[in-house]
Amino acid sequence: MSLLSINNLYAKVEDNEILKGINLTINPGEVHAIMGPNGSGKSTLSNVLAGNEAYESTQGEITFNGTDIEELDAHERAREGLFLAFQYPVEITGISNMYFLKAAVNAIRVHQGKAELDAMEFIDLIDQKKKLVKIRDDLLERAVNSGFSGGEKKRNEIFQMAMLEPRMVILDETDSGLDIDALKIVADGVNALRSPDRGFLVITHYQRLLDYIVPDFVHVLVNGKIVKSGGKELALQLEEEGYESFEKVEIA
Amino acid sequence: MKLNEIRSRAKDKFSSTGFPSNKDESWRFTDLRYFKTLDFNGEWSNSDLVFEPLSDVFIIFENGKISKEKSNLNNLPKGVILTSINNQESVNFGSLISPDSSFALYNTANFLDGYYLKIDKNINFKKNIHIIFLSDAEMYSNNVRNLVEVDDNSKVTIIEEYIGKPESTYVMNSVTEVITNDNVDIDHYKIQNESNKSFHFQTIETKVGYTSCFKNHSITLGASLCRNDIRGQLIDENSNVVCNGLYLLRNDQLSDTHLFMDHAAPSCNSHELYKGILADKSRGVFCGRILVQQDAQQTDAIQSNANLLLSRSAKVNSMPQLEIYADDVKCTHGATIGELDENALFYMKTRGIDPFNANALLTFAFANEVLDEIKNNEIKNKLELLIHKWLGEVLS
Repeated sequence: MSLLSINNLYAKVEDNEILKGINLTINPGEVHAIMGPNGSGKSTLSNVLAGNEAYESTQGEITFNGTDIEELDAHERAREGLFLAFQYPVEITGISNMYFLKAAVNAIRVHQGKAELDAMEFIDLIDQKKKLVKIRDDLLERAVNSGFSGGEKKRNEIFQMAMLEPRMVILDETDSGLDIDALKIVADGVNALRSPDRGFLVITHYQRLLDYIVPDFVHVLVNGKIVKSGGKELALQLEEEGYESFEKVEIA
Repeated sequence: MKLNEIRSRAKDKFSSTGFPSNKDESWRFTDLRYFKTLDFNGEWSNSDLVFEPLSDVFIIFENGKISKEKSNLNNLPKGVILTSINNQESVNFGSLISPDSSFALYNTANFLDGYYLKIDKNINFKKNIHIIFLSDAEMYSNNVRNLVEVDDNSKVTIIEEYIGKPESTYVMNSVTEVITNDNVDIDHYKIQNESNKSFHFQTIETKVGYTSCFKNHSITLGASLCRNDIRGQLIDENSNVVCNGLYLLRNDQLSDTHLFMDHAAPSCNSHELYKGILADKSRGVFCGRILVQQDAQQTDAIQSNANLLLSRSAKVNSMPQLEIYADDVKCTHGATIGELDENALFYMKTRGIDPFNANALLTFAFANEVLDEIKNNEIKNKLELLIHKWLGEVLS
């Protein structure tokens, strides 16, 4: 059974139709990349998948783990194992990273019928996962993303992903604003979590990230539609030729 | 001046002014008409309310009168006097009271009891001093009068906690004067958890000396009408006043905070952070006045008032007032009134946190900023519990 299946998906934001019939199937263990120029609908797709109510899907289906998730609220999708790493992680003043993560981890555990982690067990889990993305202890004590640098915010996203152990991960332009060192750390974190039962959807503008997170499939998103799919070599072709040739395909 | 003379003068003055009306500028948004129709002629009684001291140094007031049996003053070191205001005469008594404050005048004329705390030089008193005011005498008018004097190089933490019997109607009119000498550190906490039908007025007046610091942390939960006046006189170089406050309001509650920082000396700081969370038809009033006198160069005054409205019917009037007569100063103020951040709510939901808890966490986070500076964990925990309890009731 496929992990995530998107079938003829249309979506709009404030009356502007952005997604115009997306089809995509991701099986467990696969890493898919969606590449597209600005305004092609990359962020709309990730927001629609995660259940952001500001985005309205008008047609089509999203099936996750065999269930239609259209009617599920964002927190229910997350509890089912869907994870969105934000392009712009939100700063939440007044809630420490630790406190926030504990609430999230336990909400998901309870949903899975597991016991909540107590303080000691939670610290153990933190210690185990923080090595993955080399996150500093002081960032864990600070308010969620507050005053974090761009790189720290992205690392924190990957750290949250590691803590929540989702089945399906969407990385929304995780490479934006990262220098090469931060990019490597983030990619290492993602690669460490690749597993036969977990799927990834890597959304990016640039090929660079895909040197480090090597995808099984690459899709080109232009003007709200996937205009071409292929293997990892497609990313290299894009890097050389740019999006322009694909935009022409779309018009023709 | 003898105490009875001070009292009779206050009585005369009050009888000519009476309680304020909306015509008084500082009472423009707080209507006392209903309060003035009530006749607070209830009898004094002992109190049945339970209390939990956060220290082994505590005074219990029963309806405005110290209970010797319930208080514990056995653990005071040499150089610390803590007793009834009626046991001690001080030249400083009443010295800070503004002649226009009618509630303070009424208090001076009518107070029954209060605490007097005097700390000698060079004492770092590490225990909390917990003062608990229990009120449950119906239609009773409590007038408590407190005085704190702290001498050079000393340090102290005082908690004033006001607890009322739910649904009981009474007035609590409290005045606390705080006077420091040089290099003094005072942490003063106020927890106002009065009956939902009560009227609470408090005037805190402080005069802060050379390199001294007075910090006030105030949390307002109770009373149908609550008015806090906090006035700081920064009279010598490098003195410091911090006023942080939180008001959590619901139903028809009104909370009115008036801060006045008078910078009379150079290089002084006053930092104020007040936050409000308002549900139902509650109302908040915040007025923060900062006066920087001509000699008060290098003043650093920061004031911020932020409000979170949980209901369309809640209302806030926020008024910053800066009056600056010096030219080399740093003064900022800001006021915001808003709702919860939708992006933050979505972010939390994508991590599996349900909408109710996301709301509660964000609302708590908004409030929690006020507690950030509190280093005393016992007090911080108590305040956090009070906030959680309030949020649990209001958001459910």
